[in-house]
Amino acid sequence: MTNYKLSYSQTDLDLTQTLNKPKRWYYVAVTLLGLGVAWGAGSWLYQILTGIGVSGKNNPVGWYLYITTFVFWVGIAHSGTLISAILFLFRVKWRSSVYRSAEAVTVFGLATAGLFPLLHMGRVWVFYWTLPYPQMGGLFPNFRSPLVWDVFAITTYLTVSSIFFLTGMVPDVAIIRDKAKGWRKKLYGFLAQGWQGTDNQWRHYTAAYVFLAALATPLVISVHSIVSWDFAMSIVPGWHSTIFAPYFVAGAIHSGLAMVILILIPMRNAFNLHPYITDHHLESLAKFLLFTATVVGFAYLIELFIAWYSHNQWEQAIFLYRAFGDYWFAFWALFVCNLLVPQLFWIKRFRRSIPFLVFVSVAVTIGMWFERFTIIVTSLAHEYIPFAWGLPTLTWSEMGIVVGSFCWFFFLFLLFAKTLPVVSMWEVKEQLDPPMAGKK
Amino acid sequence: MELKRRDFLKILGGATVATALPGCTPKKPQSLIPYVIPHEEIIPGKSVWYAGVCRECPAGCGIHVRVREGRAVKVEGNPLNPVNSGSLCSRGQASLQGLYNPDRIQHPLRKRPDGSWEQLSWQQAEEYLLEQLNGVIRNGKGNSIAWMTPHLTGSLDALIEDFLGAVGSRRRIRYEPIAFEALKRANRISFGRAEIPDHDFASAKFILSFGADFLETWISPVGYTKDFTATRAFDAGAGAKYVYVGPRLSLTATNADEWIAPKPGTEGALAMGMVNVILTSGEAKGISLADSNEILAMTRGFAPKQVEEITGIKAERIRELALEMAAAGSSIAVGGGTVLGSDTEVATLTAINLLNTICGNIGKTVRFDTPLTLSHLQSYADLTRFVQSMEQGEISALFFTETNPVFSTPPALNFTHAMTRVPLSVAFSSFMDETTAQATFVLPVHTPLESWGDYEPKRGAYGLMQPVMQPVFPTTKMSGDVLIAINDKIGRRTTFSTSEQPFFEYVKDRWNSLHRQFGEKQEFDRWWTEALANGGVFRPSSGPFAVRWTGTASELSGILGELKRGETPPDFVLVTSPSINLYDGRGANRPWLQEVPDPMTQITWGNWIEIHPTDAEKLNIKRGDVVQLTTQHGVLEAPAYVYAGVRPGVVAMPIGQGHSEYGRYAKGNGANVYALFPPLPLSSSGGMQWSNIGVRVVNRGEHVKLADVAGSDYLHGRNIVQVVSIEELLRQTKELQEGTYKEEEGFGKPGSASMYQEHEHPDHRWGMTIDLDKCTGCSACVTACYAENNIPVVGKEQVQLGRELSWLRIERYFDDPPADPQAPHNPNAEFLPMLCQQCDNAPCEPVCPVYAAYHTPEGLNAQVYNRCVGTRYCSNNCPYKVRRFNWFDYEWPEPLNWQLNPDVTVRSKGVMEKCTFCVQRVVEGKNNAKMEGRSVADGEITTACQQACPAQAIVFGDLKDPESNVNKLREKNKPRGYRVLEELNTQPAVVYLKEIRS
Repeated sequence: MTNYKLSYSQTDLDLTQTLNKPKRWYYVAVTLLGLGVAWGAGSWLYQILTGIGVSGKNNPVGWYLYITTFVFWVGIAHSGTLISAILFLFRVKWRSSVYRSAEAVTVFGLATAGLFPLLHMGRVWVFYWTLPYPQMGGLFPNFRSPLVWDVFAITTYLTVSSIFFLTGMVPDVAIIRDKAKGWRKKLYGFLAQGWQGTDNQWRHYTAAYVFLAALATPLVISVHSIVSWDFAMSIVPGWHSTIFAPYFVAGAIHSGLAMVILILIPMRNAFNLHPYITDHHLESLAKFLLFTATVVGFAYLIELFIAWYSHNQWEQAIFLYRAFGDYWFAFWALFVCNLLVPQLFWIKRFRRSIPFLVFVSVAVTIGMWFERFTIIVTSLAHEYIPFAWGLPTLTWSEMGIVVGSFCWFFFLFLLFAKTLPVVSMWEVKEQLDPPMAGKK
Repeated sequence: MELKRRDFLKILGGATVATALPGCTPKKPQSLIPYVIPHEEIIPGKSVWYAGVCRECPAGCGIHVRVREGRAVKVEGNPLNPVNSGSLCSRGQASLQGLYNPDRIQHPLRKRPDGSWEQLSWQQAEEYLLEQLNGVIRNGKGNSIAWMTPHLTGSLDALIEDFLGAVGSRRRIRYEPIAFEALKRANRISFGRAEIPDHDFASAKFILSFGADFLETWISPVGYTKDFTATRAFDAGAGAKYVYVGPRLSLTATNADEWIAPKPGTEGALAMGMVNVILTSGEAKGISLADSNEILAMTRGFAPKQVEEITGIKAERIRELALEMAAAGSSIAVGGGTVLGSDTEVATLTAINLLNTICGNIGKTVRFDTPLTLSHLQSYADLTRFVQSMEQGEISALFFTETNPVFSTPPALNFTHAMTRVPLSVAFSSFMDETTAQATFVLPVHTPLESWGDYEPKRGAYGLMQPVMQPVFPTTKMSGDVLIAINDKIGRRTTFSTSEQPFFEYVKDRWNSLHRQFGEKQEFDRWWTEALANGGVFRPSSGPFAVRWTGTASELSGILGELKRGETPPDFVLVTSPSINLYDGRGANRPWLQEVPDPMTQITWGNWIEIHPTDAEKLNIKRGDVVQLTTQHGVLEAPAYVYAGVRPGVVAMPIGQGHSEYGRYAKGNGANVYALFPPLPLSSSGGMQWSNIGVRVVNRGEHVKLADVAGSDYLHGRNIVQVVSIEELLRQTKELQEGTYKEEEGFGKPGSASMYQEHEHPDHRWGMTIDLDKCTGCSACVTACYAENNIPVVGKEQVQLGRELSWLRIERYFDDPPADPQAPHNPNAEFLPMLCQQCDNAPCEPVCPVYAAYHTPEGLNAQVYNRCVGTRYCSNNCPYKVRRFNWFDYEWPEPLNWQLNPDVTVRSKGVMEKCTFCVQRVVEGKNNAKMEGRSVADGEITTACQQACPAQAIVFGDLKDPESNVNKLREKNKPRGYRVLEELNTQPAVVYLKEIRS
């Protein structure tokens, strides 16, 4: 493919063929994922009717797989904005081919994560009490509670990233609109918002895009910081730590990058996007992953160091418990998967090997899930009062909801891949020579 | 029709009363309500208290039953009754769940030939019964009619005697599985009195228990706990010393300063060794020189060195112990439980009697002036003879009143088979227990809380029982009423049966004669109503009198000689003891008693086999492994509990589980320990052998999850339960008196740096002081909390998942085991009642997103159930882990729901709940004070846990009132006060006083 000549029209053609009538594997995949979602939804319904007791939580462990998976998905949602907004502001060129998918990961990650605070609530039918809304009793949410901050952080992030996602798509959607018929014409017409491609529109558009990128940038930092404060603001040993905000942000980006890689590689194969998503792009992501691996690894070691250095018996006890207690496998899994395995990316051969990229990304995804699991579950299971220690249990309905959330995410992504352009056409074109170039 | 608001409220109010009050019976006996509160004054929303007597075990504690809108909702101790003076154990409190048990029998039943039950009306039932009885009597076999009861005294007892008299039979069996045969026999030998004496722990300065679990089940545990903690209390000086001797570290044992575990069956030799030391060192008191010499002669062969060989206890230790006891002035030695149960049991108790005699305790701490009526029980040997006559077809009709011998005798005795030889067996019973299920005819009777009656647990304590509410089921009857009706038709006619309430008249008539007997100056009616309100008449003892030692050397030398035999025990010896919650098994159908954990093992809903770690290692048994025990008489399987608190070579089990009938809560939990007992009575005492039985232990290779609530058994070096040595405490107390005491610099003092303002408490701030040195761990407070606060029982599976809902728990910690597993290890247990600490700087409050957890102006961490959305963050952030989540909607099967306290919300699924410091009782106390235009008096408001505590370890009160007891206790015991996890700056309102260790 090396002498494949990219041009404006070729780009349009290549990047809209992704929307052609899907093949059989697509329907099979969507059906399977849909069944997974149904399993999750059924489990949730069962849980609402019966009580949270159908999940495996118990007295010391009030947060278990739901909150673990919640933090996991919020983390996944981080790479999108990072790649599209921060790298945009830094004018990193390789981002243009990958950012659309990354943003989709963000939006769908959040759409998944946002379910979990509801899923884990004992009385989900009154969830709106956590929102500030005017009512007769004058009752407002408690603004001292990190959970309320969380509500704001997640909804803000979901709003901004959705707007950013849709705005970035306007010129591309307009191209599709021009060829679409029937209801598609209406849909794309709405999404294109009357885009004509005039100079005036481009001028406003690019300015607005920078502005939105600037608005989204602090959110990358703030959202996961606030999520981390759900834990750091408590007095639970292993949670109560000032390092949590940067540590969680780094971890979020780490897992997000892994997820983006995991999405891009099959998508590139499925849609023949090799000219657009090149090995160079993937290698750049791999380098980034190496960087975040090192940051999170540093945070892990600092946590251990501080536990030892602080002489705080509760802190020390919890870290010993993590390493050698009931969930030792989760603790060592996160060290191996998140820190050690990505170190292989120092070697160029590994960075450019597709199977290896997949392997590392899968490892990081698993490792990051276990990181959250370790933080949340081990701390609760072994708190201050030894008499009150206890372990949760795995139940089918809780697993159903966790697995269902993964199905939900990929289900949304598959729908997206067949309805919207997965690579930004207009930004790819920006990187190309104009049509008349070289024919002066 | 226009309905005005006022009319609506009137109708609503009327309807509520109408539905709540009438209960079910057609006729409403007026005298249900004692004079103090005439029945017109049953005001909805106002409690009425009725006095009575607890009939859950033979101890006969006084009770107060709280009745709201015509329904009994709580049972507490009666402060006027000298047996328990105001506290009540778990079993007594759970009597409510007998009353409202969903498995109560509601109709008379007759067994069809195919074994199924035919439901009869009462008229049919009585006719049938009379016909059968008349048949027997006409055949001239009236003397083949027998009646079996548990321990009864007073009217019902007299009525049964009347009946048997009328039919011309003398076959009356008073049977309790725990009948103290050996104690009676030893006392007959020693003092010529086959009686169970009363024990005065309160004035003893040295307490020595040989296996008698007097804080749990032995004779009168509530009263003994009260006396025990009183004499043990630290009051600027050390309290009484207490040593426990026995093969198993029971709850009673772990409260001792020292636990000594000699070889099983040799405890009597240890007592003899002590007698020898005291006599040879000339420390004996209260006996003549001649007696002294005679007794000394009996101790030949029990010199400390020789006793060391028999018991395995160091001679030096025996000498120290003996001299300490002799020097204490007032002391007491008691024996029972696990040290008995072999043919040496009478010898052991005789040796203990000797020890008490030479220490001058007889007539002082061991008192025969107020013996227990339990002494009148027949022995197990009598029962076995009776079973023989059943087998031989000598019994044509057998009546049971509230007794369950099919369960509580060894199956090898084959009581079930003997019953098949009795043509007519009639059970007066409230529950389908094992015996009732085997009977041919069942008459459903009222529970004690619905019945008239009287009970005299010890001489001079005449308890009076009254129905506290309308019968729960309209189709049950009072045993007494039925009996009078039968008596009347068979024997002589009395006036009682024509009365509307025959048994009530009978009781009253009997009390009338008591009134004459006492020579009371007061008019009878007045005296009677007063007795009713007080729960009985309690006459002081005529004064202690000396009982002479009557044992002759010739008689004793043979008995005591048995103690010298150092038998080689079998590989394993089984010791068993009644369970603190289930007693001999009769508590098993009360869900609270199943769910409130056993204090030592913290296991719920089932039983277990205790085995020493070294033995467990040998057999490769781990905690929870299914173990099979085999004796010559039976086999059972139960999970193992590896426990350093049993002597190596001993396996221990609690009695009470393993019911095959007895309702949904009792059935299928654990194994029936009676199955292992030999059917033959012990030759020395005539008692049942339930300890020191040779047993084979086999690991079944299966594993089950124990439903225990303890996360960890150890403190892991954490300073959650704090202990102070007596020397250190005496030094600090001296400093305190001299004004030189300096408090340790601690965190958690008000005024610590905080972003937020301190809470202000304008009127009250409620607080608690809990004395860990007093707490025995009995868990009566836990049951009280369940009863008061409508805490659901979740069942075995949910407990296994860690979802029990107890707001108050007794945390039991064993001393951390030594690093070297081979080192000797004394697993002393500490108890910590853990409840919401009502922190002033509460971690639960700020994290709640919806203000469901908030701080009241009186310093309580309130939980607003209606507002809770169920994020569980408050529970995660609670360092004490005292918050409880409603994982489901929990059920109270009809009519158990009638017990629910109407002052407390029943929580729905998805909300958090926790200890409220019994806010409903606080509000009631404040309202009462307000109505009377005064401020709340200290001690007026008690929490349920405080009220129940027999040890009086819990004191609740207003921290704003400097004169309140809760403050004064803190001030007086400053060196002992600490807050749990103080360094977290949660500023709890609960201060614990450190446990004292000598």
